[in-house]
Formats: sequence, C-alpha cells, structure tokens
Amino acid sequence: MTSVVSAPKTTAVAPAEPAQPAKGKGGLGLTIVVTVVALFWISPLALLLVTAIRPLSDFVGNGPLSWPSAFTWQNFADAWDIGNFATTYGNSALLLILKVPLGVLISAMLGFALAKLRMKFRRTVMFSVFLGLTIPIYIAIVPVFIMMRTAGATDSVIGLIGPYLAFGIPFEVLVLQSFFRQLPNEIFEAARVDGAGDWRIFWRIVLPLSAPALVTVTILDAVATWNEFLFALILLNSDANKTLPVGLLNFQGQFSSNNTGLAAGILIAVVPILIAYTLLQRWIVGGLTAGATKG
Amino acid sequence: MAILRAHPARRGRWRPWLFALPALGVYVVFLVYPAVSSLWFSFTDWDGLSPAYNIVGLDNYARMFSDPVVLTAARNNLIWSLVTIVFPVTIGLALAMVLNGKVRGKPVLRLIFYAPGVLPLVSIASIWGWLYNPQYGAINSFLSLVGLDDLAQPWLGQDSTALWAVMVPAVWLRTGFPMLLYLAALQGIPSELYEAARVDGASRWHQFWHVTMPGLRSAHYIVLALSLIDSFKVFDMVYAMTYGGPGTATQVMGTWMYANVFQYYQAGYGTAIAVVITVVAIAVGIPYVLSQTRERAA
Repeated sequence: MTSVVSAPKTTAVAPAEPAQPAKGKGGLGLTIVVTVVALFWISPLALLLVTAIRPLSDFVGNGPLSWPSAFTWQNFADAWDIGNFATTYGNSALLLILKVPLGVLISAMLGFALAKLRMKFRRTVMFSVFLGLTIPIYIAIVPVFIMMRTAGATDSVIGLIGPYLAFGIPFEVLVLQSFFRQLPNEIFEAARVDGAGDWRIFWRIVLPLSAPALVTVTILDAVATWNEFLFALILLNSDANKTLPVGLLNFQGQFSSNNTGLAAGILIAVVPILIAYTLLQRWIVGGLTAGATKG
Repeated sequence: MAILRAHPARRGRWRPWLFALPALGVYVVFLVYPAVSSLWFSFTDWDGLSPAYNIVGLDNYARMFSDPVVLTAARNNLIWSLVTIVFPVTIGLALAMVLNGKVRGKPVLRLIFYAPGVLPLVSIASIWGWLYNPQYGAINSFLSLVGLDDLAQPWLGQDSTALWAVMVPAVWLRTGFPMLLYLAALQGIPSELYEAARVDGASRWHQFWHVTMPGLRSAHYIVLALSLIDSFKVFDMVYAMTYGGPGTATQVMGTWMYANVFQYYQAGYGTAIAVVITVVAIAVGIPYVLSQTRERAA
C-alpha cells in the first residue's frame, strides 16, 4: 500500500485556478502530446480488453497486436469458472465488509483520544503508532502465522482481520487525528456544558463533522484491504478461502498457455476496482494529496 | 453508554484510554508483539515447524555477510529504490506541470495516469507477465512490428533483463501518486510569485527553479519519504512475476526472507533478514514519522 499522507484537509483537489502563468495559447500542442502519452499509458489495459474478447485461435493466428477478426464472450465464461472468481470475490468482499468499518471506528476512537482528550503520554502513543507506517509486514509474518496456527485461525478469512486491522491503524489514525484536531474546541466546550460526555461527543459531534475524512479513510483502507497479498498468501491455503489477489496468482499459473483466457481473467479481477476508482476518485485523490498542501 | 459528566476536566484522566484501547490493543497484539518476537526468533536456529530450537546469538546476522543471495538482494533493493523513486517522481512532476497548464481533458488524463495505482499488485504483475510473454507477448510483437526483431527477448527469463523488466510495471503504477501530490502543491503556489518573477524578467526556466521548485518543497519531501519507505517493502510484484528468479536474479530482501521461512524452513535466518529490512525502513522513515508527530499550530 502506498497511500500515506497526513491530512488535515480532506477535500478533493479542486481543479482550481492554475498557479502557473496562463500562456494564452499553445494549449493544443501540449494536449496532443499528453494525450498520446496517456494512450500509451493505458495501452496495457486496452490490449487486455481487445485480447479478452477474441477467440484464442484468432489471437494465435494473427498475433497479439492485430485487430480481432472474430468476437467472443467465451473467454470470460471460462476464466470465471476455472479461476474460482465467484469464491474469491465473495471472500474479498466479506473481508472488506467486516474489516474496514471496524478499522475506521477503532482508529477514529484512538484519533479522538489523541486529538481532543487530555491523554497522558500522547506524543509517545502517536509516535509509536505512526512508526507502524514504516514497518514492513515481513517482520510480523512468522509470529502471526504461529499465533494463527495456535488459535486454529489459519486458512480462514476471519483470521486475516486482526493483522489487517493492525497494519491499517497507523495510516487511519494519522489522517483522522489531524482532521479531528481542526474541529473547533468551542463546540466541545458547549457540548460539555450541556452535559454531554466524551462518548456522546464522539458519536454526535466528532463523527458527523468528520464525514469527509471518514469517507477518505474508508475508501483508501478498502483499496488496501482489497489488494493485500502477503498475509493472505501465507495464512490461506484452501481454494475455498482465498482472496482475490491470491486467487489471481493461482489462476495465472493455470492459464499460462491460454493468452485470451488469461486476459479475460485479469480483467475480471481488475475491472470492478477500476470502476470503483473512477466513481470514487474524488475522495481517493483528495485523501492522497491533502497532505501536500500542509506547510 | 453515554458517559455524562457535569465537571469533565477534573477527574478521570484514564478516560481517554477507553477510546485508545481497542486500536492500541489490536496494534500491540498483531503488530508490536509479532515484531518483537521476530527479533527473538532471529537469534535462534528455529526451522519454523518443530517445537525445539536453540539460541544461536548473532549467527544468523553473521551468516548474511557470507550469503551471496543476500548481497544480490540488497543490491536489487537499492536499484529498486533508486529506479522506482527517480522515474515516478520526475515523470510525475512533468505530468503535473503539464496538467497544471492549459490542457484539455484534465480530469480524464488524471484518471488515466493514476489508475494503475489502485490495482492489486498481483494483477499488475499478471498484466505485465502477459505482456512480456516471449512468444505471444505484446512487447516482443511490437518490436517485430516496427522491424526491431533483434531486440525481442525473454524479458523475465534471463538474468540480464529480468530485474529491469519487473521494475517497469512498478514505475507504471507509482507515477500517478507523485503526479497528484505535485498537482495539488502547484495549485498552492500563489500566481503573484510568477508575475513578480516575470516582471523581473525571469525566463521560464528561471521561474521553474526559483519559484516552482521551492514552492514544491513539502511535496518533494512527502513524495521522497513515502517512496523510500515503500521501496524497502517491495515483495508482491517480484514474487508474483518471477519468484525471485531466474536463478536469484530478481531476489529482493523480502522474497529471500519468504523463501527462507516458507521454502527452506529456516525461520530463524528468515526473520533475521526481516529484522534487517525493518531496521532500515524505520531508520529511513523516522524523520517522516517525527514530522507527523510534531505539534502543529492549530
């Protein structure tokens, strides 16, 4: 997971006024150049699409860069069945639904304590938690594997939740606490005068006011959870329990000689996340870039 | 369970810990504790399976110095960091400069350049493994299409090209992130600075070096810190594309650690490798972590 920036402002990067001096003209040439580069940039995905909708014989006969002379959906059907995608999608979705809201909630609670409650050893806790951003998963896999084996939780999607939560917390807390800190103290004081306790303040004031930050963190955490590979590779072994990335790796091995089927399978794996990204990019982009504007 | 208190700030200094505890508990159980016990295992000759093991002190660490694969892996990690920082950052900056100017279709272009960054690394590895296929891969086909048949290679299958071939998709997926950060930062540079520079007769090149680059300082810092932290964690891409091969040509510390633990049953040695990567990653990341921990004026 790349995705780590501290972020008080969680608004999307508004396509605001360019700071660069407007040059008056010459926009067209640059547009053409950068469009060509962009086409080149997505050519792997475009090629995947073109390949996935043609029969294997057509692909082999005419070469990968030829325009398809026949058209078929069969590759998708084959890939879907053999690649076990129904199962891996289900497992990844289950993990997402269980892990992400829980992770965001407990991170928000910790973020609230760090930002707005007078907590002892606050900076020590902050430092220790943020340090987690730098720590590679490798360092934990052997002990986590043993813990899970002892607890009988290997080869279970549920067993992934603990380690996923732990490795998601540093980023979520980093973003949320810096957002919470910007909420004006006057609101809290007023609420306290009205007799509200910390817990009520957290639910009724902090969370509703922090909707943009919560959305950002939720989406970025969902992307990271959906894409995680190493823990899933180590902790899951039966096909019935694999997540999408691990399933895809298997599939890739099985389909290595069937180029069109492989293309269809990869597309099955990536298209939903590309669609989700396109729809949600405002928040993804906002979350990633917000830190840059801070001094 | 609303906790109602008439006079809050007076007592109950432990209350914040009620909020902190769930996350801290999970963090300690699944991250801190495993990390510390890895440190312990790295001083043993444990195989990862049997209940018995001996404490061997620093032997595992000493062994790394004579392990030729560790040398290859360390070298590969260094090359990896360099390449997957320099290219994404420079290409990302160039794209940001262009997209900050008068270009049509900016939202779509931004979408395209960042899109690879949201895909699972394994799927990116699959896509590029497919493109690199020696017989039916698009890359070799493209080369023969433009008459450069001689340049066609088994890209992932030979020592001389494998590492570079694995880094190309890493650059592809990582360019979008600096681009977005730089775009946001560019929009934060006041246009008066450019006007003033132009009044003083500064060329575009001068404006770039004396206005744009200083204005991007914090973006540079974040991009570099995060890229550096990230590049020491490399595993997925290499594992899914080459498993460290051919031979040991594309081994990085992460894949070599994995191989030792799960293929050669040398958990002690494997965790020692993990400890070394972690120490480096932390050392590199500490300035960033400190900068985020520092109190900011509210």
